[in-house]
Amino acid sequence: MPIETATVHGVKLEVLRAGAGQPVMLLHGFQQIEPDARFIDLLSRRAEVIAPSHPGFGASERPKDFETVYDLLNIYTSFLEALPYERVSLIGFSFGGWLAAELAVRANRKIGKLILTDSLGIKISGPETPDITDVFNTHPDEVKRRTWHDLANAPDFNAMSDEALVKRHRNWESLSLYGWHPYMHNPRLAYWLPRITVPTQVIWGASDLIVKPSYGQAFANRIPGANFTLIEKAGHHPELEQPEAFVAHATAFLTR
Amino acid sequence: MDAWWQCEIPYPHVDKAITDAADSVRASLPNRLCDPKIAARLFDEVLDEFLLCDDLGLNVCSIEHHAGINSLTGAHPLVAGILARQSRNARVLSLGTLLSLRPDPVRVAEEYATSDTIAKGRFDIGFVKSGGTEMASANMNPVNNEERFWEAIDLVKKSLTSHDGPFSFEGKYFHHRHVNIWPGPYQRPHPPMWAATGDPGSSAEVGRRDIRQILVLRGPDGTRRAFAANRRARAEAGMPKPTSDRFAYAAFVYVGETEEEGLEVGSKLLWFLNTSLKSAPQYNKFLPGATPPAMAPDLYRTAPRADAGLQFRDVEKGIAPATRNAEKLITLDAAGAMAQGIMFAGNPDSVYRQIKDFHDAVGGFGHLVLVGRTGYITHEESERSICLFSKEVLPRLREIPTQEAGLGMPD
Repeated sequence: MPIETATVHGVKLEVLRAGAGQPVMLLHGFQQIEPDARFIDLLSRRAEVIAPSHPGFGASERPKDFETVYDLLNIYTSFLEALPYERVSLIGFSFGGWLAAELAVRANRKIGKLILTDSLGIKISGPETPDITDVFNTHPDEVKRRTWHDLANAPDFNAMSDEALVKRHRNWESLSLYGWHPYMHNPRLAYWLPRITVPTQVIWGASDLIVKPSYGQAFANRIPGANFTLIEKAGHHPELEQPEAFVAHATAFLTR
Repeated sequence: MDAWWQCEIPYPHVDKAITDAADSVRASLPNRLCDPKIAARLFDEVLDEFLLCDDLGLNVCSIEHHAGINSLTGAHPLVAGILARQSRNARVLSLGTLLSLRPDPVRVAEEYATSDTIAKGRFDIGFVKSGGTEMASANMNPVNNEERFWEAIDLVKKSLTSHDGPFSFEGKYFHHRHVNIWPGPYQRPHPPMWAATGDPGSSAEVGRRDIRQILVLRGPDGTRRAFAANRRARAEAGMPKPTSDRFAYAAFVYVGETEEEGLEVGSKLLWFLNTSLKSAPQYNKFLPGATPPAMAPDLYRTAPRADAGLQFRDVEKGIAPATRNAEKLITLDAAGAMAQGIMFAGNPDSVYRQIKDFHDAVGGFGHLVLVGRTGYITHEESERSICLFSKEVLPRLREIPTQEAGLGMPD
């Protein structure tokens, strides 16, 4: 899988590109997308995958003071505009789902279809009910338990390379800058979700305890015409725990 | 040399079984474990100890920490205000309102200016970066904590030194378009400023800003390195060489009538290290921004890999983060603490000698802050140490002259 470098508004981003077919841009969650992920292999057989790493994640640079979701939305708007296609579909995962939903609300004419996967970004419940597990202030063992349907699917830090662990910790810092406060959501996004006019599919891991399926259903309810699909035996990362089922749902929707 | 008695009013009265079982004694320990009647008694005792210091010619220092057994002074400006009014002679150091945890530094400047006015110019302002569990309890982003800290100091200083009507401040973190505090500080241009920090980068920044630098429990090597970084930065900025008055050191101190008493009671101070520092991994090693990404392999792996991580070991040299410093302190015993220069305990002669030796070893400092009461040290024990220190040790420390300082050692 080739990793390319794209310069957007002067910022160098690493971009994973794979496959051919209709163009699909992936916006990742807490970690950049690994080129050898099974779901990338499967998806790239049916689509052209374009997966940039957010500034400050993976090998992408993050300029000084570039630390808000506002910055991310502007850079991805530029990125989308520069792609040589009339329409590009978006798949957003977790934190990247928040970005995808914000981009779709802005009615970017380049967006074909939208898939939100275990997406963050909105506030559903009252002030005393956290909708999104606080991954920063919760014990890492508990975060892990809430993330994975099967803990055997969690990354084994002892087996990871130094380089991968360094990236992971830098990702964590960058995520904190973008999502610490308000915690992983835009308090006004839920109000604007009905503006999304592109066909939308919401896909959720049935065992996700970072953001529960009921949150995903509420997300879908606010987007006109959106479908909601649960994937069994998957937590916060259905694309990693059930790649076949995930890609089957995603491609069925994209090619419909 | 001058000296300051410090107590952050710890609350040790939680069953050991509970603190042993908890993954953190800060931020997440339920406050039902804090009996308000005991808390009230502790405030009484410690405020009285501060006033005893005032009677005996010892300055006082109050500190802010949040949401844990280590300290009841989350609302620290109240304690500083009480000391400003109730003391009569001592200087009162606030070390300090945790500036980067507060959304509005102008309000902090108001509190400080008011305290200085009430104390009629006997007030010193300390800046402390905070970190760890307090990022959770104050809901503040840990990654840009330090940058926020310096910008907040800029705004506090500008607020304290502006006297010609409103000014506007629109920085990266703080926006206040109409700043005009009443009253301004009693001391002009502003009360003496201190900052507690130890890594080379922030030591240099403190030097450039000509703020008095205090090292807390850092031992001789780290302290000497920090003072030297401060001095170098001043030289590079074309500022005068620092004297020992620009430097301070905080350590556990207990003075007994006899060496044995001093050591026995003094060893109780180590509760601060071995019990009150305990915090869960999300508040220390995995706290975003607390540790440079290059050190990640050591953080994440539970089993070392023979073939990896080695190239990162050197990264720690000179930039050991506070989390790593804390890890080393948790397991320290009294002999180790004294050997490392973070505790001075014994009879008056011995304590004087330990402080003087440390002073000489780090190239001089002009202010000693005594972490004099933590853990299960009783009110009576505190008062005894305060009396002995003030009468037997302080007069001798005062004879140590101000000298050129921060000469450090070859890196």
